[in-house]
Amino acid sequence: MDVFSGNSRNVSRRGFLGFAAAAASLPLLASCGSGASGASGSGGGSTLKVWDMPWGPTEYTNAAKSLVNGYSGQNGAKATYQSIQWANYYQTFASAVASKTGPAISSGGGFQAFQFADQGAIAYADNLVASLKKSGSYDDFLPGTFDSLKTDKGYVAVPWQLDMRVLSYRKSLLDKAGVEAPTNWDSFVTVGKALKKIGVIGYGTATGAGALIGEQSILAMMINNGGGLFGEDGKPDCVTDRNIETLQFFQQLSREGIIDPAAVSYTSANLNNDWKSKKIGMGFSVPSLKSSLNETDDDIQIGSPLEGPHGDKGTLYYVNNLMMYTNTPSQQASEAFLAWYLDQMKDYWQKGLLQALPVRKSIVNMPEFQKDANNLKAVKEWQPVAKTFAARSTKIVSALNAVDGGQAFTSFAQQVLQGQTDPKTALATLQKGIESVM
Amino acid sequence: MTSTMLRPAKRLHGTSPAGRGSAGRRPRRITRGGVTLTALVAPSILLLLLLNAYPLINAAVQALHNGTLIGEGPYVGLDNFAKALADPAFWKAAQFTLVFTLTGVFGSWVIGLALALLMRTKIPGSGIFKVLLLLPWVVPVVVSATSWNWLVATSSSPVPILAKALGFGDVLFLANPALAALTVCVFKVWISFPFMMLMTSAALSSVEPAVYEAARIDGATKKQMFTAITLPLIARSTYISWILMTIFCVNDFPTIYLLTGGGPVDATTSLVVLAYRVVFQNFKTGYGVAIAFLMTFVLIVVSVVLYRQIRKSVIH
Repeated sequence: MDVFSGNSRNVSRRGFLGFAAAAASLPLLASCGSGASGASGSGGGSTLKVWDMPWGPTEYTNAAKSLVNGYSGQNGAKATYQSIQWANYYQTFASAVASKTGPAISSGGGFQAFQFADQGAIAYADNLVASLKKSGSYDDFLPGTFDSLKTDKGYVAVPWQLDMRVLSYRKSLLDKAGVEAPTNWDSFVTVGKALKKIGVIGYGTATGAGALIGEQSILAMMINNGGGLFGEDGKPDCVTDRNIETLQFFQQLSREGIIDPAAVSYTSANLNNDWKSKKIGMGFSVPSLKSSLNETDDDIQIGSPLEGPHGDKGTLYYVNNLMMYTNTPSQQASEAFLAWYLDQMKDYWQKGLLQALPVRKSIVNMPEFQKDANNLKAVKEWQPVAKTFAARSTKIVSALNAVDGGQAFTSFAQQVLQGQTDPKTALATLQKGIESVM
Repeated sequence: MTSTMLRPAKRLHGTSPAGRGSAGRRPRRITRGGVTLTALVAPSILLLLLLNAYPLINAAVQALHNGTLIGEGPYVGLDNFAKALADPAFWKAAQFTLVFTLTGVFGSWVIGLALALLMRTKIPGSGIFKVLLLLPWVVPVVVSATSWNWLVATSSSPVPILAKALGFGDVLFLANPALAALTVCVFKVWISFPFMMLMTSAALSSVEPAVYEAARIDGATKKQMFTAITLPLIARSTYISWILMTIFCVNDFPTIYLLTGGGPVDATTSLVVLAYRVVFQNFKTGYGVAIAFLMTFVLIVVSVVLYRQIRKSVIH
């Protein structure tokens, strides 16, 4: 029997193929036509997509979502909030920006706005800054915070919080060792030796998998000594006398046993465990170390900025910012939302949802912020002497993102903590590595 | 009943019978059945092409450009490949990859084979042992890496404390470059031996007991039986497991990255870790993808060599 005979079978097979083709084309049709972020239909207000990262606990994300989703601007403008996880956040943004499905406004990493500005994806905030100056809000921001976000083409973003590296210490251990918090590099060594005598790690740090505190604290000390990775012209300039001096200081700490040699491979979890179990006397950290260790007493305190061998004071900080993208339904609506949001974000500090430092003096002066002595000290004493990653230059460039946390800088920090490499050689290798990624 | 075997063959496709003058072959007819089958299979083939071929072609294009995560960048031809081959960091990573792979493959195979042979003996509780021995492979590598980190990472971790008590002094398992490399390799063997044990167990169970019986009658020793019977008879499966484990080791990112991050000072950076860092930390997508392609090329060569061994290992 010939299986291919029969008109009825031919019709049903064609019919089936036609149905299958129609079913397959439905998803294609549905995926067509998305357009810019949150454009509403004709005649309605703009809906701005706002992306944010979890800068605090779940309560922060919930509060931010509630705040943003509740926004109602001129001409019916609305905003929708989306939380983007920190893991691979940059790749998430990069894909979205490249495919024009990204947000109209977002928070982000310190160099993110600069990188996307290079790609033409950022809407410069000059109009917004001008309006903030006009309204007087601009003067409420801590000095230098806006300047760090200015490029030749304009402001790539506006500041909203600070991330800083400060010297933390555990008071009970220093008391047990019979010493006070250090004020300069010589007293730092003295305190470190005293802590070592009582069986405690003098200077806790970490440069293992995913731990950036080690390399950032080395840079903080370089800045403290009037050095840094870049010259005033913004070009890599690592092999300087001040930087060599700083590395020699770290070699001294290693020789004296003040730095734990195992710290080369410590992860952030290892370091936090040592802080928690009171094995560390001092170390560079974020100002909110006490909260991140879930401690409520005042045993973890922040010291004052150290005076370097030449009288310099300084540390590393990042001005975290809010940026606007060109992929927006309305630039005017974006600016209006951002101006509004900058006035509302005090809620986060009022409710204790953010451990980062605020950029607005009015928030610093709030009683809720003032009651945390560590945070207050960080803003009052450390922020005025803090410099960005670009130090000694004041201009941040997008390529810095590849340096901070990059392979060259991590390897350099590990070499420094091992204490076996000649400082000049280590700095020369670092400079070569930075030049290759910039 | 008519047997189809008695009917002359139908010349359905127009082929001339042998010896007859050719009036020309009839073209192959496109049957409705063929069209139907093609149409039904087409979506799956399209999906496979989209999921496999498209990313591969895209990656190849990226390797020929100097791009970042956001943009493709300028065309540079084979410069990225030349740069990789001239980069000391590439060769250092290649060296570690070789060491990591050799110890991972042969270390896990030796232990897996030994345990597979042991499990064939009748020991009490062998069933429970079989399950427990699978655990290193079954447990997610994130959990294993966290456990190993807890065991060896700090001066107050259990293993360094034990080492100190035994008189070895302060042993920095993850901070000393040589020890970190050794620790990573041992970790890889630990999580891989259950796979080798399973593969070898399956191969051993296919060996006929009569062969061993005959050898025993002929007076063969246990060592002779192992080298002359067991190993040759499981050779095919052995080569297959070596190929698989080689691929697993060369492509293994989480085992290394979660334990050491590729450090200290790049001592445990393998090619795949290097490629990751170049792309996602240095933001040089073209160069990173070129490293990945070079790695893939070497893997293909190794696989071909081992496949040839498989063919040679057929015993008649």
